[in-house]
Amino acid sequence: MTIRTTRPQRDQHYRPRIHCLKKVEALVVEMQDTKSGVKGSEQKLNVTSIPHVITGKDIVTWIVNKMKNNTEEAQVLGTMLVAYGYIYPIQNHKKLVLCNDASLYRFQTPYFWPTQRWAAEDSDYAIYLAKRNIRKKGQLEPYEQAHYNHLHKWLNHKWDFIVMQASEQHKAGKERLKSDRVVLDCQERAYWIINRPPRRTHSAMDTGPERLLDPSSDEKITFDQYRRMNIFYQQTIMRSRVKSSVSLGALVKYVTTYKNHDPFLAPCLPSNPWQTDNDAYWTMNMRSVDVPTKMRVERWSFSLYELLVDLRGRDDFKIFLKKEFSGENLAFWEAAEELKWGTASSMSAKAETIFKTFLAPGAPRWINIDGRTMGLTVKGLEHPHRYVLEAAQTHVFLLMKKDTFFRYLKSPTYKDIQKKALSPEAHNFSPAQLEQNAQNRSPGIHPIILWQQEEVEKAKAAAAAAPIDVKAMMSKVDRKK
Amino acid sequence: MGKEECKTMLDALNKVTACYRHLVIALGSTSDSQNLREELKRTRKKAQELAVANRTKLTSLLKDKSISKEDRAEYERLWVLFSSSMELLEVDMKRSLEIGQDFPLKVPTRHLIQTGMTGSTTTVAARAMSVQNMKYEADSNIDTADLRELQCEIGQVSQMLEEMEMKVQVAPWAVEAKQEAGAELKSNMSVGNSSVGVISICEEEPKEEDGGGGGQGSGLGSICAVLVFIVIVGVALVLGYLVINMS
Repeated sequence: MTIRTTRPQRDQHYRPRIHCLKKVEALVVEMQDTKSGVKGSEQKLNVTSIPHVITGKDIVTWIVNKMKNNTEEAQVLGTMLVAYGYIYPIQNHKKLVLCNDASLYRFQTPYFWPTQRWAAEDSDYAIYLAKRNIRKKGQLEPYEQAHYNHLHKWLNHKWDFIVMQASEQHKAGKERLKSDRVVLDCQERAYWIINRPPRRTHSAMDTGPERLLDPSSDEKITFDQYRRMNIFYQQTIMRSRVKSSVSLGALVKYVTTYKNHDPFLAPCLPSNPWQTDNDAYWTMNMRSVDVPTKMRVERWSFSLYELLVDLRGRDDFKIFLKKEFSGENLAFWEAAEELKWGTASSMSAKAETIFKTFLAPGAPRWINIDGRTMGLTVKGLEHPHRYVLEAAQTHVFLLMKKDTFFRYLKSPTYKDIQKKALSPEAHNFSPAQLEQNAQNRSPGIHPIILWQQEEVEKAKAAAAAAPIDVKAMMSKVDRKK
Repeated sequence: MGKEECKTMLDALNKVTACYRHLVIALGSTSDSQNLREELKRTRKKAQELAVANRTKLTSLLKDKSISKEDRAEYERLWVLFSSSMELLEVDMKRSLEIGQDFPLKVPTRHLIQTGMTGSTTTVAARAMSVQNMKYEADSNIDTADLRELQCEIGQVSQMLEEMEMKVQVAPWAVEAKQEAGAELKSNMSVGNSSVGVISICEEEPKEEDGGGGGQGSGLGSICAVLVFIVIVGVALVLGYLVINMS
């Protein structure tokens, strides 16, 4: 029987997003079977002994026997079980991995399993923290204390309820056996470590934005869907293909060029800000920095596209071109980009200026493109749209790539900046320093300031890029004579 | 007075909700049994009775237009307490339905999870029902019949909550809490601010495996032990003196 309520849903539709949870559940139920599952033993505390505790080694052997894979895979699978919260470690409760030794684990009660369609709510967490506060007499861990203060501020209207409920649950808990109390405490603690992980604990819970689909429900594919899938696959087969030797060769070339620049494969100098909370890397690689880093400069030499896409590189290229008096190609390319990405209302005005500056015969910054392209572009400019300069832009880009780019790489400008470039040392933070960094995170530069800086840059560039009057230059040269 | 009645009833509802939470956590584990299912049923029936009683009382109090502003603020606070209790209860009831369906009791081989909990939850249920001993009278098909009833009851509770939200105009975020942070560390809380008795701080704590915390708890215990020791030593000295005098 379903009731359709019109009650406004103040919480989101919580759907555990991980598909495999149903299968994992079946595995766990099998695993804890008394006859064919992992053998449990007793854990001895001071005077009590609590049953149903299992060692990591036993779990791994059981998984190897059941799933017929090797020890490494079984260990990874076991770590997944721990990270989802079906099994929790007793000794090192913050480290959610399965160690293939005698460390002890226990099964989690179904109420705390992740397949439950109920999100780990903040009010529940607040009740848990209040209970913990009572038990620990005010000595919460620092991250718990931070959460507590935060929740006290934001759930203030419910705070009476939270306090009352916490003390009642604490008292009701006293009615149980001592060993049960210990187990309950461990269970709750494990649940909240997974759902509100402390810093540097890797929990596998992934909630993400709200979706209308339920990933765990079984999907029935209709006849029409199958028909469309078939058509799609048939068309895919008929597409023209590239030989795998060619595509793999391109992939290998890409990987060899870029492998030192990939933050996953090579360490990021000085340190990855996402991991160490220190944003030196970002400040050093900003757009308007004076001296770029060595990695950045090396990246400019890979292709013209990399050089132009990095705005600092583009500036450098402009300086070089100014020396060579051939800046009009790059200026045209930039103007075409602006037309492509700009607002629709400014398009006709921009098209006019571009025509007058670059394309008209006798224009101050006339670009040298072949007759056919010129004809097409001029005709298109009568009714300008976003991509009217596409052909000309490609031509100019190819000109720059084939000629100017290599001269740039050999030029003293580039060699100079290569020498000046910084190579920062890697940071080596101790865990205490990492905590410190995490607490002192700065909010970064305000976007308005960045925008203002950019406007200033643009104004300077516009002033500097005023078309060089050839006649004035010639007259100056004449006067010198 | 209406307020005191309300507060006692809310206390009772709070207690029952807490006990229900304890019982639901034990569902599906090795301490699950026929008895647990019956305890759940009884507890939630009691919770529903209390809920209906609370609701009628509070709605009648809130509908009264002739109350002062402080009174109204107090009643709104009580209303927020009541609705949070009910929301918690509703979620717990829905979860118990799910877990009850996943872990049936009447199958030949039960698949209950070995969580390490072995004790029974009779005392918790007794606390919820405010009786000394629980008597069990359930028949054998507690599984299916109980779950059907549970679905009906969940429907009733959802409906009640919906009515509550539609009909009573209370802004929950406007309520200010009376307790400050860390209030649970003081003596046991009731809805009114009177402290009834003091909890004993130095009681047996479940010793955690990592050995953290709990150091302060033994302070009072050690003082008691020292006093007892001094008394015994004094008595021994007196006896010794007498013995020496005698001989």
